[in-house]
Amino acid sequence: MLGVSMMKKINVMFVVAVFLLIPVELLFAAVGCDLNDPDRDVARLFPGSTGYKTNYVAIDQRGGPSLLEQIENRLGDKFKGLFETIDVPYTLYEVFKGKDKIGYIHGVNEKGQYGGIQVFVVLDLEGVIKSFYFQKLTSRYGKQLRDPKFGEQFVGLSLKDFYNYDVQSGKTSGPSAVEKIKNPVPEAEPDFRAALRGTKKNLILVDEFILGNKYLQYHQSGGEQNK
Amino acid sequence: MIKILNVAYKNLLRKKTRSGLTIIGIALAAWVLVSLLGFNKGYESSLNRDIDNLGFQMIVTAKGCPYEAATLMLKGGTGLRYMPQNITEQIAREPEVEAVTSMLMQAVFDPNKGESGGYSAYLGVDPATFPQMKSFLEFKQGKWFTDPDALEAVLGYEAAELEQREVGDPLLIIEKNVEVKVVGILKRTGTQDDGTIFLPLNSVQKIFGVKDELTGVGIKVKKEADMVQFEEKMYKLPDVQVVSLSQVKQTIMTLVSTAKVMVFSIALIAILISVVGVINTILMSVMERLQEIGILKSMGATAWDIFKLIWLETLILCISGGMIGAALAMATAKLTEVLIRQLLPYAPSGGLVQINLSLIILTFGVVILIGLLSGVYPSWKAGRVRPLEAIRSQVE
Repeated sequence: MLGVSMMKKINVMFVVAVFLLIPVELLFAAVGCDLNDPDRDVARLFPGSTGYKTNYVAIDQRGGPSLLEQIENRLGDKFKGLFETIDVPYTLYEVFKGKDKIGYIHGVNEKGQYGGIQVFVVLDLEGVIKSFYFQKLTSRYGKQLRDPKFGEQFVGLSLKDFYNYDVQSGKTSGPSAVEKIKNPVPEAEPDFRAALRGTKKNLILVDEFILGNKYLQYHQSGGEQNK
Repeated sequence: MIKILNVAYKNLLRKKTRSGLTIIGIALAAWVLVSLLGFNKGYESSLNRDIDNLGFQMIVTAKGCPYEAATLMLKGGTGLRYMPQNITEQIAREPEVEAVTSMLMQAVFDPNKGESGGYSAYLGVDPATFPQMKSFLEFKQGKWFTDPDALEAVLGYEAAELEQREVGDPLLIIEKNVEVKVVGILKRTGTQDDGTIFLPLNSVQKIFGVKDELTGVGIKVKKEADMVQFEEKMYKLPDVQVVSLSQVKQTIMTLVSTAKVMVFSIALIAILISVVGVINTILMSVMERLQEIGILKSMGATAWDIFKLIWLETLILCISGGMIGAALAMATAKLTEVLIRQLLPYAPSGGLVQINLSLIILTFGVVILIGLLSGVYPSWKAGRVRPLEAIRSQVE
C-alpha cells in the first residue's frame, strides 16, 4: 500500500520537478494567519456559500518597503517586533456562491497582553464587516471578549470608520462609529486595543490587496469626519 | 588523435537534432543520478546531525507515557504518567552515562484556542543540566533562566511566533491562571524545540502540583559505551520505557529506504533508457554512413581506426550529457530538496541533497562507463564493415 502511494508521489515529484520552479525562500517564510479549518469555517461564516479561493499575499511581494510604509501610514503605527514583518504571508479567502463572489475572510496575528491573538473579519464585497471573531485568544478575560455581543459591535463598520481611530493611543479624533465599540472588561484594555488595531490592519490589508485601495481617499482626506 | 576527435565531433554536428536529443536523454539520467546520490549522502548526515542536536541519545519515560509534545497533543493532553524524581540520580550513577537531565511535560486546555479550544504544552527542564546538553541551541532574544524556581519561560521560535511573545512579555498559563515572564526566544531549529515552551522544572512541578515527579529523563551516553547493553540495563528499572534514538534513527532509515529503492529504480530505468538511446543514435549513424566507412577503409583506415572514431562519438555524447546533467543537478538541488521534503515520512532539518566534487566525479565515471559500453556494439559493427560490400550496398 505504502509502495503504491509512494510510487504515485514519486511520479508526481518528477512531473512537478520539470514544471514547477518554486522559490525555496517562500516555503520558509514567516507564518501567517490561516483559518483553522477553512472548509468548516467558510461554511459557518458564509452560510450558503459553495466554495472559496485561498490567496497568499505578502507585502514584500506586492510592493516591498514602499507598500509597507503606506500601510503603516494608513494604520497610524509601525509594524513592530520579531513577528510583524514585511514577509508575513497573509491569507485572504475569497468566498463564492456558484460563480459569484460573495465576500472575503481575512485574519491577522496581534500581540495580546498574555499571548497571541488572531483577529478575523468577514467582509462583504464592499469591505464592510459582516462578522468579527477571535480565532485564538490568550487572556484572563477570553470568555467576555469572545462573547458574540462583543463581536456584533463591529458589524456594519468599514475602513472609513477606523481612520480617525488612533491605534497607538486608543482614542478617536472626532465622531466615529468605532467610539461605540465598548470594552466589556476594563482590565482587558490591552487585548481590546489589540482587537481594534487588528481589525484596522485587517481592513487596510484587504483594501490594499483586493479592493484596489477603495478606502484610501478617506485616509487622504483625514478620516470619516471629512467624507 | 585530435584529428579523429575533430572528425567525430563534426559527424555528430551533421545530425544536430538527433545528437541533441541523445545528449538531453543522457543529461536527464545524469541529473537523476547526481540528485539521488546527493540525497543518499545528505539525508543520512542531516539525520545524524538532528539526532546529535537532540542532545541526548536515550530518553527514559514512565511506562505508557507519551515522550514528546506531538503525541501528548494527539492524546488530548492526557495519558501522562510519572516517575519519581530520584530516578535521575539512579541513572546518573551508571558508568555508561555522561550526563542526564530531568524533564516534566505538562499540558493545559485552553478554551480560547481555536473554535473548540486546544492544548498548550509546557516542558519543565532543569536549568543546571538541560542548557548544557542542548548547547547548540541559539537565542534570537534573551537567554536561559538560571533560577530553578523562577516563573520564567524560554520559547521555541514557533511557539513565540504563535503567542507573539518577546523577551520581557508576560505569558499566561491559562488553566492555572499563572503568569510567567518570557526571558528567552530560541532561534529556529527545525526540530520539536521550535514549538516548545520551556519552564524551570521546579516551577512546573509547583504550578501543576506534581512535586518530585518527572515524565522523562534525557541521557547522554559515553561514546565508548555499549548502547544495546545499556538499553537493557535501563529496561530493568521499574515501570519505565526506554526510547533509544539509535532505534529512532533505524526506524526512520527503514521507512526512507522504501522510498530510496523506488527512486533508485527510477534512476536505473532512466540510465537504461539513455543507454538504449545512445546505442540507437550511434547505430543509426553507422548505418547511414556505411558507404563513407567503406571508402575510409578502402583508403587504408583499419578496423581499429573506425572503431575509435565511432567510440569517440559515443563518448562525446555521454560526456556532454553528463556535464549538462551535473550542472542541472547542482542548479536544482534546492528544488529537489523541497520536493523530497514533501514526499518523505520524516525529513530532518538541514541540507537533504549534498552534491560535492567526489559525487560529480563518480557520476562522470558512471556516465563515461555507460558511454564506453554503449559504444562497443555500434563501433564493433562499424569496424567490421567490408569496403566493397558497403559501397555496393549504398549504390544499389
